[in-house]
Amino acid sequence: MAATFVVAIGATTMRYATVIREMNVLFNGQVMVVTKGTIIVQAIPINLQGGMLKENLANQIGNVTGAERTIPVILVTNQIDTTKNLDLVPVNFTIAIPLGDWQSALGPIMLKGSTGRMPADDLQYEVVVGASLADQNSWKEGSKIALRGHTFNVTGVLDTKMALLGRSIVMPLKIAQTVYTYPKSVNIIAVKPAQGFTQEQLSNNIEQQIDSVDALTQRERNDVVEPVLAQIETWNTGIEAVVFVISLILVMTVTLMSVSERRRDFATLDAIGAPLSYVFRVVIFETVLVGVLGGVLGLFFGSLTAVVLASLFTSIPLAQFFPSVLEIVPPLYMVQIFVSVVAVCTLAGIIPAANAARTRIAEVLRAEY
Amino acid sequence: MRVKTSELTKKYRNGPIEVVAVDGVSIEIGEAGLTVIVGPSGSGKSTLLSLIGLNDYPTSGRLFIDGLDTCRLSGRERRTIRLARMGFVFQTFNLLPTLSAVENVELPMLLAGFSRKQQREKAERLLETVGLSHRLSHRPKQLSMGEMQRVAIARALANGPELIVADEPTGELDSRTGKEIIGLLSEICKKEKKTVIVATHDEKVVEVADAVYTIQDGRLGNSADK
Repeated sequence: MAATFVVAIGATTMRYATVIREMNVLFNGQVMVVTKGTIIVQAIPINLQGGMLKENLANQIGNVTGAERTIPVILVTNQIDTTKNLDLVPVNFTIAIPLGDWQSALGPIMLKGSTGRMPADDLQYEVVVGASLADQNSWKEGSKIALRGHTFNVTGVLDTKMALLGRSIVMPLKIAQTVYTYPKSVNIIAVKPAQGFTQEQLSNNIEQQIDSVDALTQRERNDVVEPVLAQIETWNTGIEAVVFVISLILVMTVTLMSVSERRRDFATLDAIGAPLSYVFRVVIFETVLVGVLGGVLGLFFGSLTAVVLASLFTSIPLAQFFPSVLEIVPPLYMVQIFVSVVAVCTLAGIIPAANAARTRIAEVLRAEY
Repeated sequence: MRVKTSELTKKYRNGPIEVVAVDGVSIEIGEAGLTVIVGPSGSGKSTLLSLIGLNDYPTSGRLFIDGLDTCRLSGRERRTIRLARMGFVFQTFNLLPTLSAVENVELPMLLAGFSRKQQREKAERLLETVGLSHRLSHRPKQLSMGEMQRVAIARALANGPELIVADEPTGELDSRTGKEIIGLLSEICKKEKKTVIVATHDEKVVEVADAVYTIQDGRLGNSADK
């Protein structure tokens, strides 16, 4: 039970922390310019109502001292099924970038298959989609998808295991401005610092020259969430520790009761000359066995629960998560939990094993007669 | 195996009361014979057997086994003697419930480091000796009380001990089965030249004994060599 709980909670927490940290893949090493008051979680603006920026502001920012290159971007979350409430974790993202700036914004891009390509024309309704979205909707290169009343041609599938890009629809900026009715507007302008300038210097320069914007360095973006993530992970570790301590006490109590019920058996072993270490090992073996069985069952049910939670939080069908269970509950984490469970059970067996080894036949017979 | 005690005393506390279970017992038991210690319940015969079987430490006095002063032995040395040179039979059989009859008999041999094959062969032979060759894989729960005591006797013989200590071996048995068990112990004693010490209040045991000691309130009474 304890192992199930720890795996389910631990894996889920870890997964979301990883997903949030992965968002840094966007605009890595760049300053993000948004309208004043916009809240940024990693690279994602979470209150779009904060306002849009004029696209041509990118040119003005490009002239600020320390700016080498600007990329105007639209980043929208959870837009496909507008009838649904917002999920705890967005189901998908649209990332819209000017043609030719793909790599600067997204980092190195790999597409599945040999014939896939990024959209090549501002006038064509073309997109590339993340692998997870493609799997869920059976999209592949050449598929037609409907989005806000427009039909798009899928030109490629992003070959990535990163959750954010796996759930993204990437399209040219001009097309997104039409589809989302943001004429000549964007919600982010990514700015690359020139050689010799730090993100902090560039950010200060931008904010000094343009009143209506916040220019956030990567550290500032992380500052919003990193303490929260660190706190969640600390809590998670704390909960794991408490669960393990409770488990240790429970296993020890049950083993003490079991040893007490079998006092006469242990006393008999002592009477016939069994070494103390033999009696000790018998009890420790039992608790280790409990740990191994508990660990295996806990990992199985915990992983199952983590997959179900992942599906519930994202509305992505359960079946789609099963093949990637090792991404949700990484093997190293499984090993860590399994070793912890076995270690806890081994520790829990020490006092009962010492009690069993101390049992003497003379005392047992005296108590019986 | 020769057993000699000198002013052996065992006291223990039962709450606020100090109980003198064995009070200055001096006794000498020779090799290869059936010695019976008779006494009523609570007379101290089980405690005396625990002391002789090195399962308990005396409060005072000395216990010599083949001239060796056992009071100077460490716990490990006492366990080694119990394992290699002594066998124990208890009133309540004390078989391990999770093991089969043959596994119960194998246990002392396992502890003594016999090979799997040797353990199995000897255990089967011993169970055959006590008339249980058809009950090898039965667990204690599936055996009658008489059968359980036979398994316990086979277990006591497993490592070829020189001394067998039997505490009320017929206490839980009906008179016919009790007689069979006593007959078996007597036969082992004679055939295999072993020293057998039995604590009992069963008069039938006295009939087959080579020596009889009575014990009352922890003190040894008259002895009778037969």
